[in-house]
Amino acid sequence: MDFFTSVKEWFVDFGETFYNTFIVDNRWTYLVNGLGVTLLITALALIIGILLGFIVAIIRSTNQRTGRLKVANTICRVYLTVFRGTPMVVQLLIIYFVIFGSVNISKIFVAVIAFGLNSAAYVAEIVRSGIMSVDEGQFEAGASLGFGYTRTMVSIVLPQALRNILPALGNEAIVLLKETSVSGYIALEDLTKGGDIIRSKTYEAFMPLIAVALIYLVMVVIMSSLVSRLERKLSNDKRK
Amino acid sequence: MINVNDLRKSFGDLVVLDGVSTTIKKGEKVVVIGPSGSGKSTFLRCLNLLEQPTGGSIEFEGVDITHAKGRELNAIRMKMGMVFQHFNLFPHLTIRKNITIAPVKNKIMTQAEADKRADELLALVGLSDKAEAYPSQLSGGQKQRIAIARTLAMNPDVILFDEPTSALDPEMVGEVLELMKRLADGGMTMVVVTHEMGFAREVASRVMFMSDGKIQEEGTPQEIFTAPKNPRLRDFLSRVL
Repeated sequence: MDFFTSVKEWFVDFGETFYNTFIVDNRWTYLVNGLGVTLLITALALIIGILLGFIVAIIRSTNQRTGRLKVANTICRVYLTVFRGTPMVVQLLIIYFVIFGSVNISKIFVAVIAFGLNSAAYVAEIVRSGIMSVDEGQFEAGASLGFGYTRTMVSIVLPQALRNILPALGNEAIVLLKETSVSGYIALEDLTKGGDIIRSKTYEAFMPLIAVALIYLVMVVIMSSLVSRLERKLSNDKRK
Repeated sequence: MINVNDLRKSFGDLVVLDGVSTTIKKGEKVVVIGPSGSGKSTFLRCLNLLEQPTGGSIEFEGVDITHAKGRELNAIRMKMGMVFQHFNLFPHLTIRKNITIAPVKNKIMTQAEADKRADELLALVGLSDKAEAYPSQLSGGQKQRIAIARTLAMNPDVILFDEPTSALDPEMVGEVLELMKRLADGGMTMVVVTHEMGFAREVASRVMFMSDGKIQEEGTPQEIFTAPKNPRLRDFLSRVL
């Protein structure tokens, strides 16, 4: 067999596998629908993660700086310990089978809650570190101009904190996107599960799994570039 | 204007202010001098309640403010400007925004009014060309002049200066002191904690010498610098002059 024949055969094989993996029975829709589910869960969980994460971070750093909000701070610490101390998959299973076990509820909703709560725990610590990295003098300057704690926080401290933590927050969004690939544990047909369904139908693992990996990779690259663009926009005062 | 009565402040077991009483009248320029750790900065920071006193009382414009909180406290601080050793400009905002943020957010001026006021203040401090720059693009002396402009934007009745030139390179001290002198000549009530004895001598209407959390001696610059009575003051002056 000469070289050209074997190359030709490989292409023929590839074409056939490609056809079996994606075209037969419209199998590509598993990936497209799965991607839709993955993006939906990621986006909604990210919103919950950021909102709840900021609230927890503000409670924690307010307690750290002023000693107020003791009870709320304790609740936050328990929450952080639990969600950062147990595996994501276990949290997802508990929320689905234990907490919402007896009610008939949308799996997507359950996943959004689980990933949102988990992500918020990490966002909270990122935001808290950002708030604590802002110089005490900024709080004092705000206070000396007649700003209350809340206004100083919102107008002066948080914008600076946000700028400092943007890379870390972007990273957390990327981690969250990839983390949602365990949604299959509650039989949710996300991107990963979609690829796996195709594999179980064609008994061919390479093509669907590599396709899934490539799709994740492309999305992560897009997210990274969005984050760095935003970063450049916010770092305007750093130019000299 | 400000009436301080037996002011005390401790951090844990450390007594920083051990009964300070004084009265600051409208238009006075009080310069507080003393060795480091004497409590002079803490005294200043108690006046606008950045530090909560542990004892005694502070009256401002006839009202006891010692335990003021919330809106009442914010309203007091609007009338009592403060200039910090490390400037504490807002690095994420342009110079113009640094100056206008307080009057606008405190709903004292509209953005347009505040912008107009910022232009006047920038002209006053000689930095009109920096309106759209960011703090990181300014020298230390320029930052401190902007910090003073930011305080002036609130039209305070009194300005507290907490070692305003201590963090500056020597060649930039002059420009800040010159601006403070002009404010003093304009009739502003000022309380200045500083190590600049030349400034104290030239500008102060009263010099206050603090040591060990107490006012050891106060008087006109003439009295303090040429005829010091307190042995600690004499010792301090022999080391700094």
